[in-house]
Amino acid sequence: MSDLYAAYENVIDLCLLNAVLAFSCLLLLRVNLLSLATGGLMAIGAYLSIWLTMREGWPFGPALLAATGAGALAAAGLGTLVLRLRGDYFAMATLAFTEVVRILALNADPVTGGALGIFGIPKYTQTWQLLALLALAIYLVWALRRSSLGDRMRAIAEDELAVAAAGHDVARLQLGLFTASGAIAGLGGALAAHLNLFVAPSDFGFLRSMDAVIAPVLGGVWNLFGAVVGAAILTVLPEVLRFSAQLREILIGAVTLLAVLFLPTGIASLPRLLLRRGRLA
Amino acid sequence: MILQQLINGLSLGAVYAVFAVGFTLVFGVLNVLNLSQGAVFMWGAYVGLEMVRTLQLPLPAAMTVAVMAAGLLGVVTEWLVFRPLQRRGAHRWMGMVASLAFARILIGAAQEVFGTQVIRYPDATLVDATLVVGEARIQGLQVVALGVALAMVLALGLLLKFTNFGRAIRTVAFSETVARLVGAPVARVRGATFFLSGTLAGGAGVLWSLLFQSVSPFMGDTILLKGLTVLILGGLGNVAGALVGGLLLGLVEVGSVVAVGSGFRDAVGFGLVLLILLTRPTGLFATREAKRA
Amino acid sequence: MPDLRLSRRRVLALSAVATLLPRSGLGQTSKVARIGLVQSTTGGSAALYGTEQKQAIELAFNEITKARTLGDIALQAFHADDGADRGQTVNIFQRLIRQDKVVAILGPTLSNSAFAADPLAQQAGIPVIASSNTAPNLTKIGDFIFRTSVPEDQVFPTVLAYGVRKHGVKRVALIYGIDDALTRSAHDVQKKAVDALGLESVGIETYQRGDVDFSAQLTKIKAQKPDAIILGALAEEGAAILRQARQLNLDPKTVFIGCNANISAKLFELAGPAADGILVGASWFAGYDTPRSKAFVEAYRKRYGTTPDIYAAQGYDAAYLIAEAIRRAGTATDSRAIRDKLAGITDFEGVLGRFGWSPERDATVTPKVLIGDGQAKVFAAAPAV
Repeated sequence: MSDLYAAYENVIDLCLLNAVLAFSCLLLLRVNLLSLATGGLMAIGAYLSIWLTMREGWPFGPALLAATGAGALAAAGLGTLVLRLRGDYFAMATLAFTEVVRILALNADPVTGGALGIFGIPKYTQTWQLLALLALAIYLVWALRRSSLGDRMRAIAEDELAVAAAGHDVARLQLGLFTASGAIAGLGGALAAHLNLFVAPSDFGFLRSMDAVIAPVLGGVWNLFGAVVGAAILTVLPEVLRFSAQLREILIGAVTLLAVLFLPTGIASLPRLLLRRGRLA
Repeated sequence: MILQQLINGLSLGAVYAVFAVGFTLVFGVLNVLNLSQGAVFMWGAYVGLEMVRTLQLPLPAAMTVAVMAAGLLGVVTEWLVFRPLQRRGAHRWMGMVASLAFARILIGAAQEVFGTQVIRYPDATLVDATLVVGEARIQGLQVVALGVALAMVLALGLLLKFTNFGRAIRTVAFSETVARLVGAPVARVRGATFFLSGTLAGGAGVLWSLLFQSVSPFMGDTILLKGLTVLILGGLGNVAGALVGGLLLGLVEVGSVVAVGSGFRDAVGFGLVLLILLTRPTGLFATREAKRA
Repeated sequence: MPDLRLSRRRVLALSAVATLLPRSGLGQTSKVARIGLVQSTTGGSAALYGTEQKQAIELAFNEITKARTLGDIALQAFHADDGADRGQTVNIFQRLIRQDKVVAILGPTLSNSAFAADPLAQQAGIPVIASSNTAPNLTKIGDFIFRTSVPEDQVFPTVLAYGVRKHGVKRVALIYGIDDALTRSAHDVQKKAVDALGLESVGIETYQRGDVDFSAQLTKIKAQKPDAIILGALAEEGAAILRQARQLNLDPKTVFIGCNANISAKLFELAGPAADGILVGASWFAGYDTPRSKAFVEAYRKRYGTTPDIYAAQGYDAAYLIAEAIRRAGTATDSRAIRDKLAGITDFEGVLGRFGWSPERDATVTPKVLIGDGQAKVFAAAPAV
């Protein structure tokens, strides 16, 4: 077991990290918001925490807190501006945010090192920290589901207008969730920076944001473990398919496509589906 | 120099426009974002190039084949990705994820077939004429590209406006329920829309590879982001808006290289998107269809 | 194109774990030196350079095995493709070091990946030889990190000085890819060399990966009437810049000065005659006239059907260097001893010429100034001034 962990430590860490990031998108997907701001918010958290630990000599804990706060703050600011946009306009506005952050990072040499990036970042992120964070995220989502807030989120997913008409402040709830998701993304960015020892602006673009959205959709947005399963699959798949250099891309695409087409409630619901079918037969 | 930059911007913008018009058409009719559009663009470019290189077809014939092939790829996208999702009433972001996955398959397949290296048209197939206007130089190809781009968009406009089929498309775009009530062939309209959208993507791919002499499996990634930008500038689902938005983005990009500096070029484009959305939440040329989104 | 497909199919066949020994050979040897081979064979333009290096290294291992220079030690290569994705490079390094127990690693393809993954090897005491990482400060990661890829700052100042002597260059414009570590680090070196020679920089333009239209930047540069345009660009982008400059009717006397990445057959294929006269500095070129280099080009052509590029040459030397270190150390498992012997090599006669390490474990070779011949589609040694 420990041998396995030694050989695949980074794969495991990436799975956990991606799962945490998937939760930041899952919160929003549950109220009909598809956000592509994850990359930009991660960048803010990552660069802030690198600055604090490497230049200001802060310990890791406070730097993580600062990154979390910065992510939340940035999301609150962005949310105030763009949350009144609907549907795909909201998605595109958040994408524009991510891209603008990436390009500013490319040009902000003194802080980010430009395309050369920052190397020699101390490795502070430990597997247990990611594990604890993930457990916390799962617990919070579980608790949320059983609260009145969770009921309201479900209702918004069904019919946003009706919830608003019933006198609930949908906009405020969405802003709150967007801020929370920004906090997670900022924290995730900082953890990612201190996991990989190297960070460059290209880590935080469109694809990064898209992956964070795809994971929960793949795993199942309404399944408690959907985000975890989706992130794990997206992270492990390239490793598993390494036997075929060129076909790999095709296979990753095909697995994702088949899952979306044939498992409407996500891959995480597969065991339950199989169980049910087993009982019927 | 200003004239030259204007030409640079317009020929770039013309290709953006053709691509974005196809993009926005699908959105207008089906209310989905088809993120495999960039991969269809890339396949159109490859088919056109292979027709010239391998089968030695003349350029117009090669382009026709490429456009048709890309159109068929569009139909396949609808049939394979969007129809099953629509049938079960899946959420719209399922379409985005599924079409992006489909794009990944298409890109992987292109790598498999054509390799990862950048290739280009043989010299002999190119129009070598150059128009000199004062300080500026206009490539024959730029004129051709601009002409073909405008012709494609114009043909689409006429089709939508004056044919029965166009009316059917517009009815479905307005409301699928209404379309069913008045007996429009909804399923066929959806397929045809994807075909048209594919032809535009493929056409843009051929124009792009002719203008810039560069074909690679990853060429769709860049234009997908540009297409999304144009989509917002012009208003989702707005064909005329996409045309104007495409030309505008070309000019804005060139303008930002001149005025702000090339390092910030894309930040200017996306910054513009943010700014426009904040002042006009449904795009620069909001229409009834666009508001529906 | 057909040759390319052939070689790619071969890549497929070899891509998992390739044992480069004939079965009969394995039986006679008692010790196996396991060597990780981390090169991108997918993932965009990196795959181009990765595939060349992988092929050249495998060619070298084959030759070494056939010649039995290592006595009873056999070389076994573990190739893994990181898809030019840094996260995967780290995954692979971890697995190679902790599970496959390699004694040395050749690669990775991209500098960015190296910055993330090399510290793992440094920590574990596994020597790494890169053959395409050109970013500055790479070997500062630690004393187990070596490279045969010659960093831009060893060659560019020589080329620029040549341009000044030969063409009287005074005013220069620079253009580079802002979001790519390779082109960005090339630009940093170029900018420094321009300042060091006291030349006037009349414009610095940038582009982003995936850009194919450079006309806006070139139109802006044209208005400044520079004597030379300095490219921090990959071969594909460099070719497009050269061609579009011609289309925009830039003064034909303008000299183009490229970087390491431009030394590729691709440049001529894509730029055609527009590549005529481009100056580059290199540690090696396919026409380099030494017996060792000529033999390599011939062997590579015979096996893969294409002419090797500079990354292939650097990969080939890296493979021979690690083999030489293993031979001198006389061990197949002691990675520290191998590292010490590797660092001690000063007199190696490689494809790149006489070879040694700088105190920072960078390759030291004599820079060569090359000039592009758009007709013959090759680089040749530039005429002396």
